[in-house]
Amino acid sequence: MFGKLLKYDCRSMLKQFGFIWPAALALALINRFTLGGLDGSSAVGETAAGIAMLVYVAILMAMFVIAVIFVIQRFYKGLLGDEGYLMHTLPVKPWQLVASKLLTAVLATMASVLVAVGSIFLIAPMGWSDLMNLFSFLGRLFTHWNIQATHAAVGTVEVILLMMASFAVGYLELYLAMALGHLFSKHRAAMSFVAFIGVQVAIRILGNIVLQPVDSLLGSLVEGLHGPSGFHATVWIAIAGEAVVSAIYFAGTEYILRRRLNLE
Amino acid sequence: MNDLLVTCTALTKRYGRKTALAGVNLELGRGRIVGLLGPNGSGKTTLIKILCGLLQPSEGAVLVDGAPVGPYTKSIISYLPDRMYFADWMKATDLFDLFADFYSDFDRTRAMSMCASLGVTPSDRLKSMSKGTKEKVQLVLVMARKAQLYLLDEPIAGVDPAARDFILGTILTNYNESGTVLLSTHLISDIEKVLDEAVFLKDGAVTLHDTVDAIREREGKSVDALFREIFRAHDFEGGAF
Repeated sequence: MFGKLLKYDCRSMLKQFGFIWPAALALALINRFTLGGLDGSSAVGETAAGIAMLVYVAILMAMFVIAVIFVIQRFYKGLLGDEGYLMHTLPVKPWQLVASKLLTAVLATMASVLVAVGSIFLIAPMGWSDLMNLFSFLGRLFTHWNIQATHAAVGTVEVILLMMASFAVGYLELYLAMALGHLFSKHRAAMSFVAFIGVQVAIRILGNIVLQPVDSLLGSLVEGLHGPSGFHATVWIAIAGEAVVSAIYFAGTEYILRRRLNLE
Repeated sequence: MNDLLVTCTALTKRYGRKTALAGVNLELGRGRIVGLLGPNGSGKTTLIKILCGLLQPSEGAVLVDGAPVGPYTKSIISYLPDRMYFADWMKATDLFDLFADFYSDFDRTRAMSMCASLGVTPSDRLKSMSKGTKEKVQLVLVMARKAQLYLLDEPIAGVDPAARDFILGTILTNYNESGTVLLSTHLISDIEKVLDEAVFLKDGAVTLHDTVDAIREREGKSVDALFREIFRAHDFEGGAF
């Protein structure tokens, strides 16, 4: 059932981003050709390059704004609004509903990041040989720093995982705030906003009381490690930290949807 | 399989200080068409929403086919809500795909033929459909399932009398006969002829639950007439006019 939920959430994601992702890449490609106009040889070329760049930057900004709206809307309208009448009467468990929304949200964000990074490569007047040169340069850099290729590859994956974990924490915080707002019978949207601030404050206090000692303990352990192992350990500790906070937010949201759902 | 399809025990629901359901005890068997009858605000929608898990009771318990509300009960309940519940960008066929994916009792072929008889083009986007057509799509989704319990919340409230007969006809010709239909309404005269049982809800409490035949025999009047008598508006509610 989870796979089926994911299928429908991914479809709504593609619906939402189906235009903006290709548009961002297409504009990057246009910029690749208009960028040459900035050499000052012609005023027309310069203007065209300026406009193309402006539109490209605007599209990228819009893409990330849409990503945040998508995350909030898919949860609020999809589970706590009228569409919730459909989703909550499907024979699935509430945790599956939340997990599917979360995974789709993280995937949408990562795909947007990928499009943004990809678009930069498209703009830069680079060919395949330049790209290969870049990779071999990075390779030499790692060799110079005495870092093995496997460490570099694993490290990259770890950083991507950390990014995903950070997005997940942020989104789950929004979910929990919306779920808490739903506990009120009136002014639910406003109460969600208040709840968001409340959750922020609570997690900071909790962080200071509980996580600080754990953090310094782990810090002293990591201090003994140098080079790549120190890096790996640091990233994994950070991922674990995000996972713990995510688990708290997730459990809170799931509990409210399972035991306190009141679609009025 | 449990003999009783629905069991509500001392079911209470409060919204803040307002009590929507006040200790409802109700048992429904299988293979019946049951009218959940009461004026606006008597708790009909609240009861239905609790049965399908959209509201949590403040007190009391609900069992559907012997199980508390959860994925199993949701798999055997077909629910027609009092509002549109789908994303506008979808087509009716997308919703059929979704229902076929999640409900093993959804009959796609039947859904398509119901669309044909109701004059709905399932490949149209829902966004481009009129309100009435969207309601028909929702009715098709609900009635194309071979569910054990159909919960229909005011299916005929917003439509003209001709369409009411059409909707009732669709329900009657398509429901799973070994299942039970619980149909909420305050328009009793239109549905009385199809009901096996009637449940009267007043101020969140069940005031009467019996077969329609027994009510007619005992009271010597139709369910509609009895309803009007019981729920006659008091003078201060405008009843004198």
